[in-house]
Amino acid sequence: MKVVMKAAVAAGLALGASQAFAQETVKVGALYPFSGGLALLGDESFRGLELAIEERNAAGGLNGKKIELVKGDAVDPNQAVGEARRLTSVEKVPVIFGTYSSSLSLAASQVAELAGIPYFELGAISDPITERGFKYVCRTNPTSKDFANRMVDSIIEAVAPGLNADPKSLKIGIIHEDSLYGQTVSGFQQARAKEKSLNVVETLPYSAKSVDLTPVILRLKSAGADVVLQTSYQNDTVLFFRQMKDQGFKPKAVIGAGGGYSTRDTAQAVGTENIEGALNVDFPQYRTNPQAAPGIDEFVKKYQAKYGTAPRSGHSLTNYMGANVFLDAMAAAKDLKGDAIKEAVMKVDIPVGRTATGWGVKFNENCQNTRVSPFLMQWQGGELVTVFPAEAAVAKMKTGIGTN
Amino acid sequence: MDVLVQLLINGIMLGSMYAIISVGLTLIFGIVRVVNFAHGEFLMVGMYAVYLLGAYWGLNPYVSAVPVIILLFALGSLVQRFIIQPLLGADEHIQIFATVGLSTALVNLALLVFGADLYSLTVPSARQAVSVGDYTMLTGQIFMLACAVILVAGLHFFMQTTALGRAIRATAQNRNAALLMGVRVDRIYVITFGLGAACVGLASALLMPLYPVTPTIGTYFVLTAFVVVVLGGMRSIYGAFVGAMIIGIVDSLSGYYIAPDLKEVVYFAIFILILIFKPTGLFGFGRGTE
Amino acid sequence: MTTKAFAPSAAVPRKSSPLARLTDPRVYCSLAALSLILIVPRIIDSPFVMHVFVTICVFGALSTAWNIVGGYAGQLSLGHTVFYGIGGYTTALLIQHFGLSPWIGMWAGAALSVLVGIGIGYPCFRLRGPFFSLATIAFLEVVRLLAIHFHGLTGGAAGLIVPLNLGWEWMIFREKFNYLYIAFGLLLLTLLVSWAIRNSRLGFYLTAVREREDAALAAGVNNTGVKLRAVIVSAALTSLVGSFHAMYMTFLEPATMFSLATAIEIAMFSLIGGLGTVVGPLLGTVLVVPIAELARGWLGASANGLHGFVYGTVLVIITLTLPAGLVGTFGPRVGQWIDRLPGGGRRQDAHAAPASRPISGEPGQPILEAKGLVMKFGGLTATDNVSITLRRGEILGIIGPNGAGKTTVFNQISGFLKPTSGTVAVIGPDGAMTNPASADEFSRLGIGRTFQIVQPFGKLTVLENIMVGVFMRHPKVDDARAAALRVARLVGLEDIKDVEARNLPIGGLKRLEVARTLATEPSILLLDEVMAGQSQSDTQRMVNLIRTIRDTGVTVIAIEHNMQAIMSLSDRIIVIDSGKVIAEGNPQDVVKNRRVIEAYLGEDFVDAQGI
Repeated sequence: MKVVMKAAVAAGLALGASQAFAQETVKVGALYPFSGGLALLGDESFRGLELAIEERNAAGGLNGKKIELVKGDAVDPNQAVGEARRLTSVEKVPVIFGTYSSSLSLAASQVAELAGIPYFELGAISDPITERGFKYVCRTNPTSKDFANRMVDSIIEAVAPGLNADPKSLKIGIIHEDSLYGQTVSGFQQARAKEKSLNVVETLPYSAKSVDLTPVILRLKSAGADVVLQTSYQNDTVLFFRQMKDQGFKPKAVIGAGGGYSTRDTAQAVGTENIEGALNVDFPQYRTNPQAAPGIDEFVKKYQAKYGTAPRSGHSLTNYMGANVFLDAMAAAKDLKGDAIKEAVMKVDIPVGRTATGWGVKFNENCQNTRVSPFLMQWQGGELVTVFPAEAAVAKMKTGIGTN
Repeated sequence: MDVLVQLLINGIMLGSMYAIISVGLTLIFGIVRVVNFAHGEFLMVGMYAVYLLGAYWGLNPYVSAVPVIILLFALGSLVQRFIIQPLLGADEHIQIFATVGLSTALVNLALLVFGADLYSLTVPSARQAVSVGDYTMLTGQIFMLACAVILVAGLHFFMQTTALGRAIRATAQNRNAALLMGVRVDRIYVITFGLGAACVGLASALLMPLYPVTPTIGTYFVLTAFVVVVLGGMRSIYGAFVGAMIIGIVDSLSGYYIAPDLKEVVYFAIFILILIFKPTGLFGFGRGTE
Repeated sequence: MTTKAFAPSAAVPRKSSPLARLTDPRVYCSLAALSLILIVPRIIDSPFVMHVFVTICVFGALSTAWNIVGGYAGQLSLGHTVFYGIGGYTTALLIQHFGLSPWIGMWAGAALSVLVGIGIGYPCFRLRGPFFSLATIAFLEVVRLLAIHFHGLTGGAAGLIVPLNLGWEWMIFREKFNYLYIAFGLLLLTLLVSWAIRNSRLGFYLTAVREREDAALAAGVNNTGVKLRAVIVSAALTSLVGSFHAMYMTFLEPATMFSLATAIEIAMFSLIGGLGTVVGPLLGTVLVVPIAELARGWLGASANGLHGFVYGTVLVIITLTLPAGLVGTFGPRVGQWIDRLPGGGRRQDAHAAPASRPISGEPGQPILEAKGLVMKFGGLTATDNVSITLRRGEILGIIGPNGAGKTTVFNQISGFLKPTSGTVAVIGPDGAMTNPASADEFSRLGIGRTFQIVQPFGKLTVLENIMVGVFMRHPKVDDARAAALRVARLVGLEDIKDVEARNLPIGGLKRLEVARTLATEPSILLLDEVMAGQSQSDTQRMVNLIRTIRDTGVTVIAIEHNMQAIMSLSDRIIVIDSGKVIAEGNPQDVVKNRRVIEAYLGEDFVDAQGI
């Protein structure tokens, strides 16, 4: 029984492996969570990469060769390791793009590193991804530290002036879901707030699957929090806004860290009148000044044409931008070996305001893009509009939460 | 003090939600003796059904309750008839894994059909805040509490007075004796499982106005429901209700006074202690060590 | 039908040298199949295939380790990733803080897991079936949430990253084959341990405890003790595998290391392969892991969720079509095929039975003294101030109407019930009287008892049932088998020794009760209605048997309703009615006692007869 089974498996694998050779194309790996709880934004992220590749193929491909995407699906780190192995060995891709989820990225990039295959991170924000001294792991998007710093700095630079208040007089509540995303971002928030001597009155972790956030809200209410920094996914964002309204808690400002704050679904579920005025620090979204982010409008049009809906969040745009950067580098590299690609990547030098996300590109010694920062956005009239930095802004920031 | 009262109110509201979900599990786990890990997925299926009825035919969720309860009854009966019953003779552990497989299949089916997006229905009538003094609750929550009380009382009445209810109780107490008395045990199990699922159908109609549905929504509820059922003493419908209220209040209070991310630790700890020291449930109705 | 699969006889121990064992097809086929795990990835030189095989080894080992608790002991733990996670975290933290090599750290993790295993197992073992499972899930969830909450220690949800120091010392390699060597080594280790337990006294004891806790107690098995030993072994092995897997993934987070889904999966592999068998867990893993991996590779790209849906559906179908698991379904047939290979189908060599425990001591000396036994169940007084003194070498009959409290007395003098008041003293090996505290202790002091309602270990054969009893005095399997055969011959069960106990008729089961009890080589034998359900000739045989047993120096107490038999057999009779001793003496006197006749036939009868 066992023998037969194994033989069948082995034969299947061998078949898969042999098929990988025959084509005259360049394969690239796309490792995202396509199933499980992270599937929504994993898929949204993938669409950005997919559009970038299609665009490139329409324009003649990578140095004349057609690019073929090979998807890898992982919901946990062991699967990420497996899929990374499959992509690097069975599919023999020269590079892998990914990943949206930080824990998957941490596991998968380790495989790529040891295989000498460049791993291009386009969306995961955990800082250690590019702090492990790896040679072949590069990232275009900002990290959780950038998010946290932007959120805290926004209190000083945007919220306090808008309220005509001294930033140090504002009581700050930090709440976050307790997975990797929330715990990392909130950790940096606390450090930054301390550095800037701001007054943090509560730090409350909770489970994103929770069905009741009223204890959190009542704690914030009791502590008299003026500004709430929330790092959350979609479900808990919806819950927070709904229950905040139910409990009559009205802070002066709420700042989200992307995630659930950035999706249209959230706004619809919460009701646009309720989310009005909520601030959000995230990758650039679509209501960004095109002057500062050339190509953003074209991207939205292409997305609309291909998928029949408006982009669900900025993840696709960020992945699109990053994919283009790396595809350019691959085109410039003398061959598709890891070292050549890495060399080309390190040569990339794009000033701020010249990509579809408005970021520039310059990699440091860890291969982390240094010319990036998340933007500050605000929900206004059912749209997430960029309000900071000034050159990317399309609207002025308002104060207050909710319309009533 | 104000906060405490508000927390208690929230706890009771939460408890009534757990109660409706757990009463169904009491029937399935307590009577049919199946550890149904797909219970949460039944809720998910129900909520998608309510969503579809609302989104495409504009049905109010509370109206959708009727067809959804029937749908879930059918789903539950089919699961018992075609998945659980063939396994009755096998190792009891096998059933657990059949339901795990079912749960995996259903979650992924939802992902396949609906994607990972959130779907929610806007039902303003269920989201009106009702204020009593300084305390607030939602109309939907009050409705949920009322339904929980009616459901528990109704089921109790059904179990005590109808022939079918008595047959179910007899089966629960002693399967073989019931068999000897001419009760068609297999059919009783199919009906009971169906009823348990139907309760979840009601729960999904009541939850839909308050929570958005995703493929994984069920996973959160299933463990809580097991805690409630064991706390309540396995087969007691009243026990499940009281257990649900306790968990709801513990959930609410520990989230505030201890830490929001540790509230599950608190009620799982209570669960373990009850199992170890009072395995018959809080009220001595059940038999945890049998 | 499934005898071979479940019973320890699946791997019949053969008295031969290890080298000679290699020519046994069961051994060489297993080794050949196992070596494929190393050979196949060598032939298909691909890191992905390697990953699949490492995953098979890891999950095969986890599942095999789980099976020691979940299968052998029948405690369906669904929280086993607690140990996996503790192993991984301990190892990673020791690297991070103390630069300790994972080869050392993994043992620290295993030690910690053992402690946690005892902490969880000890209070939870009395929970049955699904309740135990739910408790283990609750423990797992608590540990996971605490690991997230105390992020200062564990790195929290952000996870721990294992430093990429390459080399054997750090268990991290560029050459992927090294991972497979270690994973394979761990798999081999768990399989060996699992096999050794299966074919040892512990394995029999675990099966006995799983099947019938009371009968196991009566056979001198310390139920909690053997389960704890199973948990200790299982936790340690699981933890070692967890340590390795953490090094393999180089990234640890609570959601993965303490995952409920993984815990369920581990258990599921065992179940699919065959619960409580040595090879089952590995077979289940070999079947399911490639399906999952390939489904993801082939279907994952076409539609999100499709592969999960297929995977879930396949699981339901497998449970429906193979409820006994692969081994339970195909095991016997495959076993026969294998035995037909060269060198197969050997009979075991005859093994001389060990000497029985000698019984010494003065005939007539008191060897068991029960004083003032009172047992109350709520308002009901089942025994009221019963005192019995048993003298060495006698046959004491206990009679009385139904519900008089005879069995309750038995339960108290064998330690199954703790009297509300009163004491039971038993003569110890040193000749002094002692007061044992638990049923298994009574049993080890030489009190053997049968149960009125028979308590066979249904899935074991007759011989294996008897062996469970023998193990108390003869811990070696070969000795136990030979001694059990001797008992089977004595009691008249030899011709049906390989029948599964659950298939015996009631008469056979009664004799099996006696046989299993005799096998413990008791100095005091408590027989509870062993003649019931026996034919006339069997009854006579039983009477003769009891006499033979007494002649070897064993003291006998028998509860019996068969008056003719008990009267002819007993040296002394005690009559109990309504919880009280109403008469005591030699048989002839007792039958003439007015109160005795009253108790049996009612006062009216006595009056009418004018006795």
